[in-house]
This record gives sequence, C-alpha cells and structure tokens, in this order.
Amino acid sequence: MSAKGGSVTPVDAAATNVGAGNWKGLGMWAWLLFRVAGIVLVVYLFAHIGVISSARWSGHSTLNSAFTLFDHPLFVLLDLLLVWAVLFHALNGVRILLMDFGLGIHRHKLVFVGCMAVAVISLGFFAFKAFAYIAAHHAGGLGGLV
Amino acid sequence: MSTEVVERPPQAPPAPPDASPPTTGRMRPAAIADSAGGMWGWLLQRVTAVVLIIGLLTHLVATHIFNLGHLSFLNIGDRLGSTFFVVIDVSLLAASIFHGLNGARMIVLDYWLESRASRRALSIVLWVFGSAVFVYGMWALWPWISR
Repeated sequence: MSAKGGSVTPVDAAATNVGAGNWKGLGMWAWLLFRVAGIVLVVYLFAHIGVISSARWSGHSTLNSAFTLFDHPLFVLLDLLLVWAVLFHALNGVRILLMDFGLGIHRHKLVFVGCMAVAVISLGFFAFKAFAYIAAHHAGGLGGLV
Repeated sequence: MSTEVVERPPQAPPAPPDASPPTTGRMRPAAIADSAGGMWGWLLQRVTAVVLIIGLLTHLVATHIFNLGHLSFLNIGDRLGSTFFVVIDVSLLAASIFHGLNGARMIVLDYWLESRASRRALSIVLWVFGSAVFVYGMWALWPWISR
C-alpha cells in the first residue's frame, strides 16, 4: 500500500483486496466478527468498571452480592460467551500483528486457521471449567434466577 | 528486400490517455488516506494489544480459573495485595480503555466524520473521556491498592 495521499496501483489493489472484493470469503467473516467482538468487549469493559466500582459507592456487600449473582449458571454461560469474544478478538489480533511483521503473509489463511485452533482449544479449557463449576454447585437445578 | 506484409498478432487498442480511474474495484486514494487513524494510533493500538494479551491472560486465569466461585471484595484484596497484580490491573485498565476507545474511533472513522476538524474533535473527546474513566477506575481500585 502506498503512503498517505499517494495513489493505489492496480497491483496494490489486487494484493490487498481493496474494494469490491472485500465482501467474500473467510477474510470478510474474520473482519466482521473481529469488529462485533470488539464492540461487545468495549461495552463489557465499561460495565465491568461500573460493577467493580460499586464497592466504592455502596460498600463491600453490594459488590459481594453482585458476585453471588454472577455465580449463577446463566451468568457463567454468559461469561463463556465473553471469553469466546476475548479469545476470537485476541487470536485474530495476533494474526494481524503477524501480518504487520510480514510473518506468514503468503499463508495467511493457514495462520488464521492456526490462530482459531488456539482460540477454540483455549475456549474448551474455559468451557470445561465453567461446566464443571455448574455441575458441582447447581446440580440440584437452576434455582434463583430462572 | 521483399515488400510482403508482415502479419501482426492482434493487439488490444491502447487505453485513451484521459481514461478516468475505474469506479469499482478500488477505493479512491483520498478515501484510503482519510481512513487512516494516524501513525501513533496505529502503533499504540498494537502496543496495547500486546499488553492486553499478556494482562488479560493473567487476569482471566487468576479470576476465572483459580478463583471461580470465590470472587468477593476480600478475594480481590488478596490479589491486589501483591505488586504483581497491581501492575497487571493498572496496565490492563489503561491499555483496555485506550484500545477499546481507539478501536471504536477507527469504526467511526470508517463511516463518518469526513472533515479534519471533526476527526480532531472526536480524538479530543475520546482522550478526555478515556482519561476520566482511567481516573475513575483508579479511584475504584484504590481501597484495595492502598490497603
């Protein structure tokens, strides 16, 4: 890609898939999910800061009761969705960093698949912990919220 | 010297010299230049990305693997009693606010705010807002840090 204010040659455009060719294939989904996950994480970040700061507004018990609520299976499952957003965004981000350094730039689909494999395996680890926790603490049914 | 006519292979007619650039298949060069969020935003986005990968991995494993089901005010205090977790949490706070707001800014710049002045105004608003959130976050963490 040429510098700021320069022109894009047809070779540049073909190499970087600039323009009409964007909306097809794996790269489009990687880009779209990266953005969606990013927006979800920004919203969560501010909610997270808000919840943690509640201890400062109304004392320890407010925060502790929030944590009790978050131990409910429904919130554990929502946490798992959040972990997936983190893992997808992080590992696709790793791919982007690798591309910035020119690493694997001719095998970028393979790099993407490799990054996603790491994300899925990590998610499996968190999912195992989450379901084991739900099974251990809520075996008698989903009391409380639902 | 013979006067026979040499058969030339058919050639595509040359493009007219004043041909306008194609309107599909590529962005206007000006649009590409305008879509850039600036060198420092680009660089800091990557630096904070590395901080977030290391910090969030530590944060998630510490809270949701080792302390799953045990989170409480005192449990947070146990971790923030160590300098290691204070460094992790404060750098996570700063890096995540910058990374999140700069990411949101890049989405906004992809679709809106054509003028240089409005882009600059967005940056200023986001820096003021992000700084305020960082101060608020530090205020929220202070009872644990100062114990």
